[in-house]
Order: sequence, then structure tokens, then C-alpha cells
Amino acid sequence: MPTRVPFRRTAQTGLVAASLLLTLGASADKPAPREQWHQAAQQQYTALADAAKTLEQSAADYCQSPSETARTTLEADWLAAYRDWQAVRYIQFGPIEQQSRGWQLQFWPDSKNLVGRKINTQLKADAPPTVQDVEQAGVAVQGFPALEYLLYDDAIEKTALDSTNACALTRAVSTHLTHTTQALADDWDAFGQHFETTDGYTHTLLQSAIQSVERLEEKRLANPLGLRGKPANGYRAEAWRSGQSIALMQASLDGINRGLMPGLTALLTSRGHAELAQSVREQLDTILERAAALPAGLAPALDDPASDNPALDNPVLDKKDAFSALQGFYVQVSQLRQLLALDVAAATGLRRGFNSSDGD
Amino acid sequence: MTVNQTRRNLLVAGAGALAMPSFAWALPGREHSDWLFSAVDDAQGNHCIAGITPSGERHFTLTIPERCHGGCLSPSAPRAVVFARRPGHHFYVVDADKRQITHRVAAGDGYHFYGHGVFEPHGRYLYVTANRLDDAMGLVRVYDADDGYKHIRDITLDGIGPHEIRLLPDGKTLAVGLGGIKTHPDYGRVKLNLGDMDPALLLVDRHSGAITARHRPSHHQLSCRHLDVSADGTVVAGYQFQGPEWETQPLLCRLGPDGAFSELALEEALTASLQQYTASVAISRQQPLALVTAPRGHKVIMLNHQSGKLLGDYALPDAAGARCDGAGGFLVSSGQGGLYRIEPGKPDAVALADLALHWDNHLT
Repeated sequence: MPTRVPFRRTAQTGLVAASLLLTLGASADKPAPREQWHQAAQQQYTALADAAKTLEQSAADYCQSPSETARTTLEADWLAAYRDWQAVRYIQFGPIEQQSRGWQLQFWPDSKNLVGRKINTQLKADAPPTVQDVEQAGVAVQGFPALEYLLYDDAIEKTALDSTNACALTRAVSTHLTHTTQALADDWDAFGQHFETTDGYTHTLLQSAIQSVERLEEKRLANPLGLRGKPANGYRAEAWRSGQSIALMQASLDGINRGLMPGLTALLTSRGHAELAQSVREQLDTILERAAALPAGLAPALDDPASDNPALDNPVLDKKDAFSALQGFYVQVSQLRQLLALDVAAATGLRRGFNSSDGD
Repeated sequence: MTVNQTRRNLLVAGAGALAMPSFAWALPGREHSDWLFSAVDDAQGNHCIAGITPSGERHFTLTIPERCHGGCLSPSAPRAVVFARRPGHHFYVVDADKRQITHRVAAGDGYHFYGHGVFEPHGRYLYVTANRLDDAMGLVRVYDADDGYKHIRDITLDGIGPHEIRLLPDGKTLAVGLGGIKTHPDYGRVKLNLGDMDPALLLVDRHSGAITARHRPSHHQLSCRHLDVSADGTVVAGYQFQGPEWETQPLLCRLGPDGAFSELALEEALTASLQQYTASVAISRQQPLALVTAPRGHKVIMLNHQSGKLLGDYALPDAAGARCDGAGGFLVSSGQGGLYRIEPGKPDAVALADLALHWDNHLT
């Protein structure tokens, strides 16, 4: 639930704040939905920037003195930062759109293995790759999937990260991530005034969050599970190399729970739809509970080549059970999407566009 | 829906509407056009080309394998050409009388289309905006309709991302909106060069291929996309701003027949309400009236593009395609399925049809 926050900005001018308090009475205790949304996302962007900094340090530490412990720390910090990014991925407007930053953080889907190809070009370079090289090499080598390739791909020997170029590249990518995420956190702060004072952003944020759930359902879940015509294929899942596809989805849904829901609850309640807000929260709770019980990866549940990696095999669940667990998860996500795209959209007067969300 | 309009403009517009009642007027070289065309998605998400009568009473759809975008009419035959949307690999020639696709023409390996094209006045040569992938060069690819839409030659534009293309009344000058955004199919729809875009409104001699004018917008992230041309040769083009959405930039420009280039500054609050994005531009063939759709702002605006004066501001959900109706007014489609008529002097958009179709951004 939202914590009580001071009256930002307006508090600087006593007269305005006083008159607002008089007008709003008791409701002045609770910030308006957009103010809640901005603050929640600020915490998420700040957490991401902090996690990226930690990751950058771990990469530096590992490369300075490689050890099993340092490697474990590096992998854990990569996943922690990647999850922090998932948590705020429901925001697809504002500073994240600048300079294609969303793509810089995560180039996906990657059906042509551009990440692998571009990383290998960097690994074969005459001189160790620098941050400048990463900046110029494009989105495929700038984000979390690039680091995942370096840390987990079969083509890269476990010890290969110790090579000069691989280590230099790992450090350069993590430094680039630190720059991108810090700029995001700073720009989101600066964006606050505009976001909070522009009415249209209520719908922009809802549209963005709903679209992120739709993409999760379709691209991240239904598609690799083979529920959309084509056969199941674990390589179509996100983060298949590290086996963290479900863990990342869980982080996204948890981020929506923490970032979207407080403001959405306030908005729906103010419009007489407190019960709908309750339904959405309950649905999210159900999903998060279910996700927590699932293995982190998606591919092991599928009967396809991506699941042949013995490291990913789950000894407890056989494939059939694992697959039906994922199907159950999919059904729950689908119900959440319907609640948001139909009921919440209707209750908030949101018009979902064809061209307005995906024009040319 | 509301419209702000002065009494004087209302009278002027009314007179124009009376003077030119024929729909066929809008289609040079053609006696009749029974159909308007648009790329659409149907309710099941299938990609189609739709034909609809200007009254909105009848329509048909032809299913195609990829999402299309803009189109153009042949001035010499009852055919329309509809172009696949960026990064599009084909264009489709539609025979409306037979309700058939007669040709499906590929961009070719190493190329893709941007979703727009135009015929020269005889209807033989078709000019299509395209991307040459190996060096991201913007092209106008030329096809011969009399020879089965065979590719004839390319005009290079010395720039990235050509989008909508129209022919000026002189019959030889092409106006091209150069978006300036670098994309590559390997990267899907990722915009690869937002930091160093170089968009422009171009004039190109279709015979020599020479670029005769290159007008750059006032900000390097103002992507020049869609445009229309008036009977006197004035070009009005719409931008899409790729920079910070908390900044307000002009979204329309005008290039006069005298070569004078200027940007049309609307009131800041109105510009902000368009949400950095314009879709279709349609100019009346009879008066200096331009209509612009803004799907993200759920708006249509009408203005006098000579004076820059705003004549109408209509709320229209997911406003998409627009074209003049040949009778002084405009037809406008919505991504939510509606087809509307907007006439100068009338305060509301009149709904002609409401179909279970998502109209794409352009109406041909």
C-alpha cells in the first residue's frame, strides 16, 4: 500500500498548498494517482540504477581477480539488476523512449541471434572493447541479454570470461548499463512535473501498463509455449540462456503490483470502482503466488531442443507437470490482462487505439 | 465533437463546397471512382486491404499476409496500389471492379518499402519509397505498370527513411517526406539513430533524379513523414517528434509554390495535445484547407495553410486516414472502425460507417 508522502512541489508555495488543502480537505492526505505513480516508478528506476552500479562493480571485481565466488556474485548481481529492469518495464513512455533506451537495456526478441553475432565480433576485435565501442555497436551489445550471452552461452567456455576481450566487454557493457539507468532515473525525476500536471498521462500510463501485460502474455509466454499456432520453442523465450524466463516475468508482474497498483487503486476508488481495484489486486496476488512456485526457466517444461540442457532439468516435476503448471500460469495472466484491458479500461474511459499505440 | 470556427471562414468554406460537388473531381484522369482504399486489420487481427464506397454503404476486404500502410490510385485504370508497412516487402495492386489483387510485387532482397508510393500522371510509372539495407540509403524505386510492374531504376535521396511521396501539379516534381530514422529488419522496428537524425522535406525531379530542394525541420528529431499537395503546388507536411515528449515542437510545415518553406506554429496547448504525432495530411483541391489527423491525440484539426489559421479542432478517437472528398470536405477514418465526413463550416464529424475494422493511417 502507498506510504504517506509529503506534498511535493506545491508545498514550496505555502499559499497554493494551503488553498489546495482547503479545497481537498481530508483527501489531501493522499497524493493524486499520478503523483503516486511517479514516486513509485522513481523508486523503481532508482533501484535499477543502484543495482546496475553494483553489477558494474561485480564485473570489475571478477575481472580483477576471477574466482568461483566472484563469478557467483557477478551472476547474482546481473540477475538482480535484470529483475529491477523488468519491474519498471511497464513504463514505455517518457525518458525510456529517449535514444531507444528500452532497447538498449534489453534487445528482445532476437530471432536472428544478433546478440550472439555482435558479441562475437567484439570478442574478435584487435583491441579490448571499450565503453565507446559498446556505445557505437548498437542495442544488441548494450544490455542485459549481451551480458547473459557472455555469462551463459554454450559457445562461451566458463573460463572464457577471463579472456582479455570478454572481460573488457563485460565491464564495458555493465558500465554502459550504469550510464543508461542513471540517466533514466535522473530524467524520470525531471519528468515528474510534466507527468503530474498533464492529465493525458493517466491514460498514457494505463495504456502502457496494459500493453506490457499483453506483451507478457503473448510474446513472453504464449509464443514460446506454443499456444499461438507454432510449435513450442524454448528459444523464443526471453533469457533462455540463463533459464530465467519465468523469473523475469515474475519480476515484471511484481513491478506492476508495486508500481501501478497503488495509484490505480486510488484512481479506481475515486471513481467508485473500489471493487474492481480489489479484483485486480487479488488476481495479481494469485499470479505472483503461482509464479513463485514455478521453476525459474520456461524451456525445461518444453519438449524441444532448448530443454536438452541438463543443467536446466528440474528433477521434481516431469515435463508434463511442468508444462501444465505453465499453462495454468498463462491462464491466470490472461485473466489479469482481460481485467485490465476490458474492465479497467472501461472504468477509466481509456480508448485503446490501433494507430494511436502503433502507428507509422 | 467540437469545432472552433469563425463566421467568416464558415461562409468562405460553404461557398467552396457548393462550387465543387463532384467526387470524381478529386481523382485526376479518372471518370469515376467507386471505391476508397485503405490498409486495415480485421477484428480477428488479419491484415487486409479494404475498399469502401465514399458514402460508407458498401465495403469489401481482401486478406493479405502482411500489414499494409498507404496507397495510391492509378490515374489511368480502375486500380489502386497499397504498400506494405515499414519494413514492408511487397506492394499490392488491387482491381476494385473484380475485387482482386492482380499483382504482388516484392521489394527485392536487400530492400524494403516504407508504405507509400505515387503514379505519374499517365499511370505508367510508379514511384515507391524504399530502404536499401546495406547502406541505409533512402530510395525512390521506379516501376513500370505497363510491364507487369517491372523495376526500372532507383533514385537515391542522399538521406535516410523516405516516407510519403506525392507528385506536384507540374507532373515532374516529387515531394518526399524524409523521416530521417534509421531502421534495419534485423532490429525490427528499433530506431537506430535517434541522436543524429537528418530529416527533410525533399523535392525531386522524377526524370533526372536530381534533388531540387531539401528543407530541414527546425529540430533534427522532427521526422518529416506525411504530406499532401494542393492544386497550386503548395506542400503541407506533418512531423512526428522523436525527442523528449515534454517538449513542444511544431508538427506541420508548408512549402509554397514560390519555394518558401515555413513551419506552422499552432497554439502551444493544441500542439501539445497532438502528442508529437501526426498521421495523415489531406489538402482540399479547391481552397487552402488542410486537414491533419493525430491518432495519439485522438484529434483532427483543419487549418488554412496559407494564413496558418486554425479552422477546426475535432475530437475523433484514433483518427487515422484522411483524404479530400472532392466536394469541398474530407473523409476521415478511425483505427476504431469509423468512417467520417468532416466539412468546413460544420461543427461535427458525421459518421458514415462504423465497421469491425481497424483502419490504418491512410485513406486512398
